Amino acid sequence: MGKKGNHQNHQTRRQFLKLAAPLALGLATPAYAMDLFKMLDPEGKNEDIQKAKQAMEGIGSIAQSAAGIDYETEFPIAESLALEGFQRYGLPVKDQKLQEYVNVLGKAAAKNSIRPDINYYFVIVDSPLYNAFACPGGIIFLSAQLVRSMSDEAELACVLAHEVGHVSHKHALQSIRRAKFFEGLGKIGTINMDSEEGEKYRSMIGDLQTVLFDKGLDKNMEFEADKSGMEFAYRTGYDPRGMIRVLEMLKEKQASATHKGSWFSTHPPLDARLERCYEQLKNYSDASAMATVKDRFMAYRKRF
Amino acid sequence: MKIRIKPIFYLILFCLAVVTSAAAQETLWVTSESADLKAERSISSDTITTLQRGTELSVQQYESRWYQVTTKDDQTGWVYRGKVSDIQPDVPEGEKKDEGGGLGGLLGGLGGSSVETDAAESARSIRGLSPEAQAYAQKTGTPKQSREALDQVLSMSILKNEIESFLKKGDVGEYAE
Repeated sequence: MGKKGNHQNHQTRRQFLKLAAPLALGLATPAYAMDLFKMLDPEGKNEDIQKAKQAMEGIGSIAQSAAGIDYETEFPIAESLALEGFQRYGLPVKDQKLQEYVNVLGKAAAKNSIRPDINYYFVIVDSPLYNAFACPGGIIFLSAQLVRSMSDEAELACVLAHEVGHVSHKHALQSIRRAKFFEGLGKIGTINMDSEEGEKYRSMIGDLQTVLFDKGLDKNMEFEADKSGMEFAYRTGYDPRGMIRVLEMLKEKQASATHKGSWFSTHPPLDARLERCYEQLKNYSDASAMATVKDRFMAYRKRF
Repeated sequence: MKIRIKPIFYLILFCLAVVTSAAAQETLWVTSESADLKAERSISSDTITTLQRGTELSVQQYESRWYQVTTKDDQTGWVYRGKVSDIQPDVPEGEKKDEGGGLGGLLGGLGGSSVETDAAESARSIRGLSPEAQAYAQKTGTPKQSREALDQVLSMSILKNEIESFLKKGDVGEYAE
């Protein structure tokens, strides 16, 4: 190979590096990648860079359309997923006072979240699994088994706030951003369930079930929700160590508990979560002075 | 060339003083749904005004979980620390309200956007499942019990004063004195 060949190789490699960097960066942050493309080719004369830019715009628009959809579109998705949740995990525990209790507590924490402007709904379902999950849009499920195994209101507040964290950060929607349903989506409108659009909608709900009921969210989303759970509970006035106590309790139960479809199979290992929670706890020097409200919690726990 | 040390030293000192003074003037934002600006460092004191999410505040002092703050329109009072943060919240353009404007402003002490949230919640409890969820349930053959369960969950309406009363009874947050 002569000098010309080497020069061509060198040019191709440079071109590749020029495109690879923004693309790699773009997978995480499409906006930064677009800025970088602009810097590399300000006048838009390089064909390769323009093609890569168009591809990036496509990725960005799908991600944006999934995580950036409005609440009116998000909420029917929550309802549809909740309908599946009742079939998978059981019906609500028949105790109106208990359900009101968990709703008042959850809403109190949600008001101090980063997304306080939507309605949140909380329901304890009659399930023997240790589980809790959040449908996008703010319908939050807790299993009776998980609540029964807690010891005070601060623990419950932290778990509810953890789920509020998932809704606030739109974690579930981000996880299924590549679902065909979101391509070019503006608003849901009234979907004809017999049409192709209806099929895409059901497929997207299926994807959400797989993520929330079986595979679990990305581990970094769970770590972020743990952090949010401690933060929102603390801001409301509860002891953020409640999150740590729940995870320690789960550690004790994990050997004998059913794993499929529970927090054990859909969440990262407890030790990894605990390590990060202890790190977060350093931000709360007066944690031990915060509320736990054990008596009120135990009075409700005795009801079911 | 002789370098004159003294003026440079005083200039550095002056710059440091400016930077320190700017840092002391800490800025916070209301990050909760809303925050009551209280006359004293206590939930039972008079409410000067209800601050909306995103309101910028400058800190005067911090004492026992309460910040003494001043608003941009020069109202000074106390806010509970759980309602504010040093990170500015991302408030969508459509949700920004002028001080005293909109439904929240008209109803003043009743609590701004939470009044609208309460209204939306009551409306949903009457409406039941959305048409999209109903169509989904029909197409997928969702059992009647699941539809009724969701209807029951969505009909749960909790008002702001019920939450405040709940926190008060448990001595939680700003009620823990």
